[in-house]
Amino acid sequence: MKNMTLGRYLPYDSVMHRMDPRAKIMGLLLVLISVFFDAGFSGYFLIALFCYIALKLSKISLSYLIKSIKPMLFMMCFLAIINIFVMRTGEVLFMIGSFAIYTKAITQTAYIVIRLILIVAMTTVVTATTKPLDLTLGIEHLLSPFKRIGFPAHEVAMMISIALRFIPTLLEETERIMKAQASRGVDFKEGKLMEKISAIISLIVPLFISAFSRAEELANAMEARCYHPDAKRTRYKQLHWKIHDTLLIGSCLVLMVSLIAMSVIGTW
Amino acid sequence: MSITFEKVEHVYSEGTPFSYLALKGVDLSIIKGSMTAIIGHTGSGKSTLIQHLNALLLPTSGKVTIDEYVITKDEKPQTLKPLRKKTGLVFQFPEYQLFEESIEKDIIFGPINFGIPEEVAKQKAAEALEAVGLDKKYLEKSPFDLSGGQKRRVAIAGILVMEPEILVLDEPTAGLDPQGAKEMMELFKKLHEKGTTILLVTHDMNQVLTYCDHAIVMSDGQVVKNGTVQEIFADPEYLSKLSIELPMITSFIYRLNQNGFHLDPSMTTIDQLIEAIGGELK
Repeated sequence: MKNMTLGRYLPYDSVMHRMDPRAKIMGLLLVLISVFFDAGFSGYFLIALFCYIALKLSKISLSYLIKSIKPMLFMMCFLAIINIFVMRTGEVLFMIGSFAIYTKAITQTAYIVIRLILIVAMTTVVTATTKPLDLTLGIEHLLSPFKRIGFPAHEVAMMISIALRFIPTLLEETERIMKAQASRGVDFKEGKLMEKISAIISLIVPLFISAFSRAEELANAMEARCYHPDAKRTRYKQLHWKIHDTLLIGSCLVLMVSLIAMSVIGTW
Repeated sequence: MSITFEKVEHVYSEGTPFSYLALKGVDLSIIKGSMTAIIGHTGSGKSTLIQHLNALLLPTSGKVTIDEYVITKDEKPQTLKPLRKKTGLVFQFPEYQLFEESIEKDIIFGPINFGIPEEVAKQKAAEALEAVGLDKKYLEKSPFDLSGGQKRRVAIAGILVMEPEILVLDEPTAGLDPQGAKEMMELFKKLHEKGTTILLVTHDMNQVLTYCDHAIVMSDGQVVKNGTVQEIFADPEYLSKLSIELPMITSFIYRLNQNGFHLDPSMTTIDQLIEAIGGELK
């Protein structure tokens, strides 16, 4: 459980760490949009290169990134297999039994896998270089223009930050309960299906109970301090937009525009 | 027959930026049949140490020996499952591990996992519940209808029912009222007299003095002292360096002795103390 890497903040000191969270979120959004344009393998190569530079700038090791992609591997394989068999465009490449495998299916499947890897990679770079609280602060700032049309930006940001805050706590709790039940002879790894189900129940029930009681305690604690979402509040942490933030957004924009251009030229 | 640690090291999150060396080469032997206290500051490695005793954690290097079981980093968890029956571990706030719909079901959960027939387990569950001071009529109730202290008792009964030879307790009385804490400690004392080896992690030095015979002092991932309770409390300067307080009785004796008394600091009860003070005043 302690080896969970997905979405974890890594406390290094790098250019990426010092970027404004708003810039990082917007940049991520632009890159994610570019990923979905079909610009062929050269387009993906471009994004991958961009990813690699971002990774270098954030001092995160490539092996750490690979570790965070690993949990997705099963899902990717599953998607890939279904895709290869279901897609029926392009020419028939070869037959497996009565199933025909098409050329387009192969390339499309490769695209999907590459897209997923790029998405996870870029998101990892952002979450690993931004403290969860800064991330929500950035989200709140970016959403605040929508307050005018009645969008509860502060409430959403508060909910996200509470959720993020409790992820490590709940993971710790899970580990604790797993250990306590393991002391009572539960085997979470081995055993028949029925044994596994009972093992999971012995974990989930206490986990839910403690999560609910924590939520209630938190609500009481907030109430006791007169928390009100509409109250005007000042911030300890001020966000400052600097020149490198503009550069980051600029380069993401250039990437997106070139990807769009490549895909338009490609379809012609 | 004993429990030994040889050069045991434990690293959390090895190979990540969060890697943390929690045990730094622990050499230790614990006498079977003793009631040993493990004391030390928060973060000194006590909880990490005790989780090695039933192989919930495997040492990163070194080895732990418990009778015929040898725990090293390469050991497969399956081969260590019988060890979990031999060593019962009661975590801090064990009430959080309750999950069944009735207390009886929750208590027999452990024994059934270890392959004890249901009828026998039910029999033992009733005995374990009485041992922790709850009436048999609670067996059919839901554990979630109980008070905090009662839940704690049920959770402890869930470990006792497995009849472990070694019972490891991580602050079993934290958050209990003084009367409840005392009853709990008396229960462990009784088990100890019946031959169970007891390891007790605690911050309450009065409990150490009253109930334990041996003590291990941990600091910064290492065992810095290991001896009888009297030996440990004979060096108050050293303990104060580790910010460990003396038991009330011992501290009182030292203060009296500074003011001209000549009392033996190894006394453990108030009655002994009163008698000794009376003797000096005559």
